[in-house]
This record gives sequence, C-alpha cells and structure tokens, in this order.
Amino acid sequence: MKRALALFCAAIAAAQNPEFRNVAKEAGLTAPAPNGGTASKQFILETTGSGVAFIDYDNDGLADIFVASGPGSPSRMYHNEGGGKFRDVSAELGFTREGWAQGVCAGDYDNDGYTDLFVTYWGQNVLYRNIGGRRFEDVTAKVHLTQDRVRYNTGCAFIDYDNDGKLDLFVANYLKFDFDTTPKPGANPYCFYRGIAVNCGPRGLPFDRNILYHNDGGVFRDVSDASGISKPDGNYSLGVLTGDFNGDGLTDIYVASDQTPSILYINQGNGKFVDEALLRGAALDDDGRALSGMGVAAADYLHEGMPSIFRTNFSDELETLYRNQGKGEFRDVSVEAGMGRNTRFVGWGCGFFDFDNDGWPDLLLVNGHAFPEVDRLKIDIHYRERAILYRNDHGKFADISEASGPGIVEAHSSRGLAFADYDNDGAVEALVNNQNEPPSLLHLARKPSNHWIELKLEGVKSNRSAIGARVRVTAGSLVQTAEVRSGGSYLSQNDLRLHFGLGAAVKVDKVEINWPGQGTQIETALAADRVVAIRER
Amino acid sequence: MPATDKFLRPCILASCAATFLFAQTNPVTDGIAAFHRGDYQAARVNLQRAPADPRARLFLALTRAATGECDAAIPELAKGFSSGDNRRLAGLALAQCHIAAKRFAEAGAIVAQLEKQFPADPDVLYVSADYHMKAWNDAIYRMYQKAPSSYRVDQLSAEVFETQGKYTEAIAEYRKAIEKNPKAINLHYRLGRALLQQSHDPAVLEQARKEFEAELSLNPSDAVAEYQVAQILVAEQQKPQAAPHFERAAELRPDFPEAIIAVAKLRLDAKRYADAIALLDRAVKLQPRNETAHYNLMLAYRSAGRTADAAREKIELDKLQKPPEGEFTDFLKRLGDKK
Repeated sequence: MKRALALFCAAIAAAQNPEFRNVAKEAGLTAPAPNGGTASKQFILETTGSGVAFIDYDNDGLADIFVASGPGSPSRMYHNEGGGKFRDVSAELGFTREGWAQGVCAGDYDNDGYTDLFVTYWGQNVLYRNIGGRRFEDVTAKVHLTQDRVRYNTGCAFIDYDNDGKLDLFVANYLKFDFDTTPKPGANPYCFYRGIAVNCGPRGLPFDRNILYHNDGGVFRDVSDASGISKPDGNYSLGVLTGDFNGDGLTDIYVASDQTPSILYINQGNGKFVDEALLRGAALDDDGRALSGMGVAAADYLHEGMPSIFRTNFSDELETLYRNQGKGEFRDVSVEAGMGRNTRFVGWGCGFFDFDNDGWPDLLLVNGHAFPEVDRLKIDIHYRERAILYRNDHGKFADISEASGPGIVEAHSSRGLAFADYDNDGAVEALVNNQNEPPSLLHLARKPSNHWIELKLEGVKSNRSAIGARVRVTAGSLVQTAEVRSGGSYLSQNDLRLHFGLGAAVKVDKVEINWPGQGTQIETALAADRVVAIRER
Repeated sequence: MPATDKFLRPCILASCAATFLFAQTNPVTDGIAAFHRGDYQAARVNLQRAPADPRARLFLALTRAATGECDAAIPELAKGFSSGDNRRLAGLALAQCHIAAKRFAEAGAIVAQLEKQFPADPDVLYVSADYHMKAWNDAIYRMYQKAPSSYRVDQLSAEVFETQGKYTEAIAEYRKAIEKNPKAINLHYRLGRALLQQSHDPAVLEQARKEFEAELSLNPSDAVAEYQVAQILVAEQQKPQAAPHFERAAELRPDFPEAIIAVAKLRLDAKRYADAIALLDRAVKLQPRNETAHYNLMLAYRSAGRTADAAREKIELDKLQKPPEGEFTDFLKRLGDKK
C-alpha cells in the first residue's frame, strides 16, 4: 500500500514538473552569435552582449525572433514560418550591420501599426523603422538619435513617460570604454578575479550617464538633463525595466546597475524623474550592499495588484526579489521567498512567465560567468552554467531547475532572455542568447493542462503598441495584473502580448485595461484558451 | 651578500645623499662615502683611522653589520639607536642583526620603537614585515619539531590553507584536529566557516550548521556561532527558528553589531518600528560606518513614517557609499570626463 502511494505521489510530482527542451536547431536557429573570446576575454565589452527579442514584425499573429550579436555576424531576424520553424530573413529585411550590439527593445514609435526595433551598441545605436512588415530602414540619423561620441549603450525601452500617445525612448549606459585606454587583464587590482587576471571593470572604469529621448513626433530630442535622467552619475547601468511602480498612473524606470546601487527613476509627472531607489528600498540588498545587477523583471507575483521587481546578480551574491509593499516601497524578500540558495551563478536574463498556466507567474533566469578564465580555477563556479527555474507556489519560489528537462540544465554562457508563445498554443516559450553559440529556444515538451488567455492590445489615443497599459484580469477568484512593456529582462524584449494562466477557469470574467493616461476600459466574459485582440475605445 | 647588506645599502644611500655631497678628503667622510658605495673594504680602512669620532664608530658598526659581523657591531649600533642623528639607520641594522640571529624578542622591541617613531617609513615597515614573517616561520618550525602530532599543528595547517583559499585542504586539516581534540574550542566554528567558503552547494549549509551547533555545545556563550546558526536557518527559510538564535547572539554580545541588526530586522518584520530604531541606533553608535545599520535604520524610519529622519539616514548612507577619496576609480573617472 505504502509503495503504491509513493508511486502515485511520484507520478503527481512528475506531472507537475515541466519538461523544457531546447528546440533551436529544429526550429532553424543554428547561427552562433559571436561575442568576443571564448577561452578568455581581454575587455569587459566582450562580456555584456547581447539581448534577444520576440517581435511580430509583420503582424501575422506569430512572434518572430531577433538575436543581437557582437562582431563576426550581423544581428539576425528570423521569420516565424509556423509549425515551429523560423527562417533567417536578416539580409532581405535590412539587418546587415555588424558591431557590438548590446540591447534590443521594441515599440511602434511612429504609430503606423508596425512594431519598430531599437538596437543599442557600443558605438552608434540604430533605430530600425518597420516599413509595412516588409523591411526595416535605419532611420537613426533621420530621427536625430545619432550620438556625438562612442557610448557603451546597454538596456533600452520605449516608454510614453508623458502619456502623450507617442513613445519616448530610454537608453541605459554602462560606462566609458575604449580599446586604447582600458587597462588589460591583470593591469590593476580591478582586473583580477579570485587571484586570476581577467578583463578590467566595471570598477576602475569611468561611469557614464543614462539617456532619455523625447518623441517630438517623428524626431527625438535628448531630454536627459532636463528630465533629471542624467543626474545619477555613479551607476554602471545594464538592464532596464519600466512600470508604474507606485501606482500613480505614470510610468517609472528601474535600472539594474552593476556593482553600484540600482536606480529607480520615479516619474514626477512634470517631465522630471528623481532616483528614489535607495529610500524606496530597491537599490541595495537587505544588508545595504550594492550588488552586481544585470537583468531585471517585474510581476505581481503575489496577486497584490502591484509589480514587484526581480534582479539577477553576480556569483557569491543572492538574486534579489524586491516585494512591492504598495505605493512603490520595496523590501528585499529574496530569502524568505525561496531564493536564498543559488549563489554560484552569474545571472543575466530573467523573466516571470506562467509555464504551467496556474495563474502564478513562475520565474526563469539564465546564467553564465563573465570570465571564461574562471574554469581554470576548478571550483564550482563555471563560465557555462545551467538556467534556474523557480515555480511560484502562491508566492513562495521552489527551485525546480534540475527536474525541468534538458533545456534548463544545458550549460551555456547565456545573456539575453525573452518570452513568447510563438506557436499560440497557450504554452510560453523562452529564447536565450548564448555567447558564441546559437541561441536556445526552450519549448515545453508537454503543454500544460490549465487554461490561459493572451491579450494583444492596440492603443488609439494611447501609443499604438499600448506600452504602459496596465491590465487586471479576473477569472473566478484569480485576479492578476500585468503591464505591456518595452525592453526588460537582460537587454531583451518579450512579445508585447500579455499572457495569463487561468488555472481551471474556462473563461475570464473581467479584463480592466488602464490605457496610459487615458482611463479604464472593461471587457467581460472572454473565453479562455485564445489570443484576444483589444483595441482602445 | 648578507641580508643586512642587501637591505642597508639602498636605504642608507637615499638618506645620506646630502652627506655624500659634502664629503671631503678626511677618513670619516671618505669612509662614509665608501660605505654608501658599497666599498666596505675602503670604508673599514678609513673609518678605523678615526676611532675617536662617534660617526666613524657608528658607520664602522654599520659596515660590520653589512658584512655579517653583527656580534662586533651590536654594542655600537645599540648606542647609535639610543640617541643621535642616525638613530633610524642604527635601529634598522640592529633589528636586522637580531632577526638574523633569531633573537626575535630583542628584534621585536626595536621594531616596535622604530614603528612608533617612523610610522610611515617604508624601510621600517619592510623590516617590521620581515621580522614578523621570520618570527612566524620560526614559531611554526618549532611547533612542527616539538609537537608534530598535536592538534594545533593540524589547526595551524588548516588556517594557512584557509588564508590561501584552499578550503578543501583546510576542511581536511580541521577534521583531523577535531579528531585529535574533540573538546577544543573554535575548531568546529572554523570548520563550519571553511565549509561555507568551500562550496556554493545548498547541502553544505546543513553540514556547516551542525559544526556551529557543535561549537555551541562546547561553548554555549559563543555569540558568533549562535549568529551563524541563525544565518543558515534564514537561508534555509526557517526564519522563525532563526529568531531565538539571533536574540541570544545579541544578548551574549551586546557589542555585536551584526546580531543587533539581525534582531532589529526581526522587529521590522513584526512592524515594531520603535524597537527596531532603538536597536539600529545602538548598532550605529557601535559602528558609525556600518552601512547595513544605516540602511536598515533608513528603512525603519521610512516604515515608521519618519520621512525626515529617513532622508537624513539616506544622506549618511550616500556618504558611506562614495568611494574613498583618491580611489583609482576617481582618477579614471576624471580621465573619462575629459572626453
């Protein structure tokens, strides 16, 4: 009897664990994304790239894939052909540029109905205007986004910070870097890791400032100084996350910062931002230490109606989960939420996604050390590492990485991570940028049995991508909130559609949409298990 | 070349350059000049010609020390060290002579006096480091000679491995020491700490906790072991179980800022803000530069609605988090700003 019960329990446990497989090769994602050295890296620039994006550029209802790359390959766009297959369309769409591509973010900046793409570089950034879903045009100079010096641009996000219906643009900057003056590995105390010479930085390298561009209607204007965005001058900025963190209807900006306090720009509503991260408890860890922030994600993981913030950090540091206690005041709850044990990983891309559609957003983060040289130390920290998958069990996170299929435990030196249900079957997939390897495409071998709904929002008075729209979904007793975001994770872009797991509910009772600055729209009685397009009224 | 010679030549060359410039053709100045050139034979011949001159006697002693004749040099060096313009030089040579002869007690006394009078002198600091290193080596040698199977040998080996970052080896040595002397204080604590440093595997937490608990069974008043047990329980998501350990650590050592801060955090969790603030105030008084204390005090004020106090603490924290003046970062930052 006991044996039968044990077998039964084991069967239930197995059924609950997901099985993620890396289907990149079968899907046609075989080109590696070069990013500096593989056995050693001379410069910090080789360590930070690059992001990925899911973007439905041709509005065919299927999320396409963009993979940013360092020199040696252009960044690539893959068209979703359906049936789980992708085709490299980079050259025909106009993606031929090579360089140190870092981040990627999407948004329809000109409100023409086609999602545009912004790619950050060490060097000049590029705004790719989507021309009817047929090709992309580099309009950087035309829209006044050319920079007057070489900058180390990293995370980015389109954001309508003044709710005027036109998407503005935020760009994080890591530090000031050039190949000629940056010291070589071992040159000074900032160029060592556990006694071995490694690339220098970020400590010891000069800070740079973040940038905000206002969309003046077709052209952009640098408002970094006037808005207060450029005021913080002691942060190594990487991942960017936007959201209304204090519930005042205005979009704020969080920036994960490496080895320095992270930034929380609170939107003051008059075109100005003030960094309130420290006072609001979102800059440091529980002990008041600045960690090495890389990627960042948000979710209402406890169904409290407010977005909490998750940030990935370096090895020998914990990941950080800041619970939003309401009104944008945060508390580091990493350990009590179940994240007190993974300290050997350097985390990058991260995101909440409900892989089992139970209505509780789970969490995936991808890892890989900054220094390939770490493998010489023969310790339990490695350059290539597996991912970490946490299951959200009513607000407590259980690490189920080792039991979640080969896709999760494959070792790579991963950076960018993005999510989409690219085959519209109700199960969310993950796309990962691996340094000097082809990307990973993590697909669930078995579709979850729970129900779901996916919302594709289209702004009319608001920006057409509906970026900044806040959505509250009620299905029975399950009430979830989410927000349409540009950018996020580590230098990456998730599909702009919002996915909600519904558990056993076969319909959604109510969807409340707060369009950015435009009031609330309510939709009722929506059937589950489908993608629903909602246009702003 | 004797060790004393290697050391003395450069430091004397530097400090007596002025003397050299004004050298005249008399045996004392010629002898001193020859000493500085490292021509000890000429130095000796010249300096011996002026036995009544105290400078000549001192530099002759320095020459002797530089050529390994310490015993003959020591009386004059001791005189020179007690007073006179060349006190520093005489002291350095005297200390080196005692170190070479393994008379560490005498050497230590001289080094202490030199450090007091010349606290930033690189030659003095070098001799001090040399003295400590050789004294340490000598003590270890004697320990291995006279008590080779003592648990202290294993403990010392473990501590050396620990400082080298060789935690696996350190753990093995601590275990050997514990086997030899299961009642020895501190061994379980250090083993627990080495276990935590050796691996990032969550399973190690449990092993380390057992060691800290073993330490506590030997020494129930060990506040740090108590604190470590609590920290591990927190990492294992057993915060309620951790709480009494934090409380006890703070009771055992009222001057233990980390334990006080941990108890303050418990009060914050319980929304007992006034209690938390009182504790954090105490931690700040104990360690005015403790960032954790200031940070949590700021959060406690914020939660208590004392926004002005929170803002004041933020200013303190901002100051503490600025890199120290003149740090390399600032230098490079200035370079970067020129672009």
